[in-house]
Amino acid sequence: MIKCLNLKKIYPLKSALGYAALKGINIEIRKGEFAAVCGPSGCGKSTLLNILGFLDIPTEGKYFFMGEDASSFSDSKRSFLRRKKAGFVFQSFNLLPKLSVIENAMLPLLYLGVSRKDAHKKAYSLLERVGLSSKSENDIMELSGGERQRVGLARALSNDPEILLADEPTGNLDSENSLQVLTLLTEINKERKMTVIMVTHDMKLAAKAERIIKIKDGEIQE
Amino acid sequence: MRFSEILRIALIEIKAHKMRSFLSFFSISIGVISIMYTLTLIYSMNYRLKKAIEVAGPGRINVELKKRWEAQSDMEKKQGREALTYQDAAALSRVFPQLYMVSPYMDKWVEFSDGYFSDYIGVRGITPQWKKRGWVYKLKGRFINEYDVQNAQRVCVIVKEGGWIKKPKWMKFYSYKDPLQNYVKHSELLGKTIKLGSGLFKVVGILEEPPAEKNPRSFVGVGMWEPKVLVPLSTAQKFLSGWSELGSDDIDGIHVDTGDPQTIEKYKRLIEETLKSLHGKKLLFNIKDYREIMKDQMADKKRDMLTVMIIGAIAILAGGIGIMNVSLAAIYSRIKEIGVRRAIGADKKDIMLQFMTEAMLLGFFGGLAGVIVGFIGIQYLAYKGDQNMAMLSWWMPLAAIAAAVFTGFAASIYPAKTAANLDPIEALRYE
Repeated sequence: MIKCLNLKKIYPLKSALGYAALKGINIEIRKGEFAAVCGPSGCGKSTLLNILGFLDIPTEGKYFFMGEDASSFSDSKRSFLRRKKAGFVFQSFNLLPKLSVIENAMLPLLYLGVSRKDAHKKAYSLLERVGLSSKSENDIMELSGGERQRVGLARALSNDPEILLADEPTGNLDSENSLQVLTLLTEINKERKMTVIMVTHDMKLAAKAERIIKIKDGEIQE
Repeated sequence: MRFSEILRIALIEIKAHKMRSFLSFFSISIGVISIMYTLTLIYSMNYRLKKAIEVAGPGRINVELKKRWEAQSDMEKKQGREALTYQDAAALSRVFPQLYMVSPYMDKWVEFSDGYFSDYIGVRGITPQWKKRGWVYKLKGRFINEYDVQNAQRVCVIVKEGGWIKKPKWMKFYSYKDPLQNYVKHSELLGKTIKLGSGLFKVVGILEEPPAEKNPRSFVGVGMWEPKVLVPLSTAQKFLSGWSELGSDDIDGIHVDTGDPQTIEKYKRLIEETLKSLHGKKLLFNIKDYREIMKDQMADKKRDMLTVMIIGAIAILAGGIGIMNVSLAAIYSRIKEIGVRRAIGADKKDIMLQFMTEAMLLGFFGGLAGVIVGFIGIQYLAYKGDQNMAMLSWWMPLAAIAAAVFTGFAASIYPAKTAANLDPIEALRYE
């Protein structure tokens, strides 16, 4: 489903050469796979995730998503793919504090043009799945970190994405909550045959995934 | 994203920053008030112009003697010895029988006396042509006819003011009462003989004006003084002993109505040529298009209007800048949010639309507040007797609100573009 050919990302610097975050990545990820991308901080794993999630474009190389070359897509095409095919889970949750729990969870659906009523129904069932249906009308500020990340997960799942991209989903959580979120991720991967790509620097967590992709200094060391 | 959702987000955002929102639409409100005021004035002035022309005649031209100080050169001043005469008016209607109205007139100041009552008043000498335009009266008795004019009959017609159905407040403080009108109101003069100057005149008719509210003449309110006692023109020339600088056959002016606004220019030229051929260079006169006269009289109001309009424009501009400023500030406090929305699938258009909707909504609320305050204010002015303000109509608030919303729109283009063009990754990383 995902195929990267010699993917490079070079950030321009004031000095002549620029900083190479990715130095030619070649990976293939099949549908339904649960892959953990790990490596020390600054190795380029987040950059890779951003490219895989259509947030960023590579400087060089090709990124094939379901057979299409996504590395040359326009901003609006990539926005469409994010809206339709990808779900993001962030380290710092990135929930909107002005909205309630359920409103956060249904936001991607609203961007897809789904009616408020249908979006509400869908989001509620997802909140049930992550065990937060009783707090659906609460403010984000009233939730604990673990709960917030579960809302983030519900939000990422609301558009039934092809791939779920999690950037250090447990980075801000204690071990108990980390485990809970990770369990949810694996369950969802199994239940829905959903491709999950998780970035982490914690090898113990990565070990729970089917496949580990190690990155160091912008290169794969599988 | 559906528009209802975008609107909902915008409302949440405005509600979250009440003071900021209020400040940015405050000045828009002021702008809207002045727009409404200006629109009302423009509308009312146009309406009055139309009404005035309707009453005065669509093809109205006034031929008047030039005042001495209006003469251009010394030569003109020396030569200009002649005045318009009744014969000129007669010649005009003979040469141009197609003219709807050729109404010569002259004014004299005389003493009106009846029994113990006496007052100095203006009396106008006219011909039956007078009633062809501006006839808003109810006639009791009869009007001056051709026979009266040809035989210089000593008859007169008195105009009786209609008063008010409901006197406006400001009129109550206006203490002056025309003594003659007061006398006419309280005595039955029709058929009586009264004294004008040293001559005796029979009152053959009373012209009753409609109440002021329904009288287009009073609504027109163009400050044209008109005498309230009318006599045949020839009688005024021969028998009125009041003071006038005119000779025995002279008149003050001729009111002409061509019957059609299209022909005004043509007849202005023709009448000028005719009068010049009759008098040569000895007659100094003006031919004025009535619409020009009206416009002159409205010039004062126009200046007021312009001032208010400029204030309004500045206020709206300031409001627009306020909205722009707030929107720009809002972007920086919402970079993270923009990043999140972009990550979960919002495209540039969605972000842009959201910021613009917010700004337009601010404009709308500002406009609404302005319309409410402006509406109350204008109603108050109308109640206080500003007749212009009574002309407020339903579309003006709408136009004012539209202007406010447009201001919000225009002011938000740049901030919205800035927000939409933020790099989603940078925005997400922003703390």
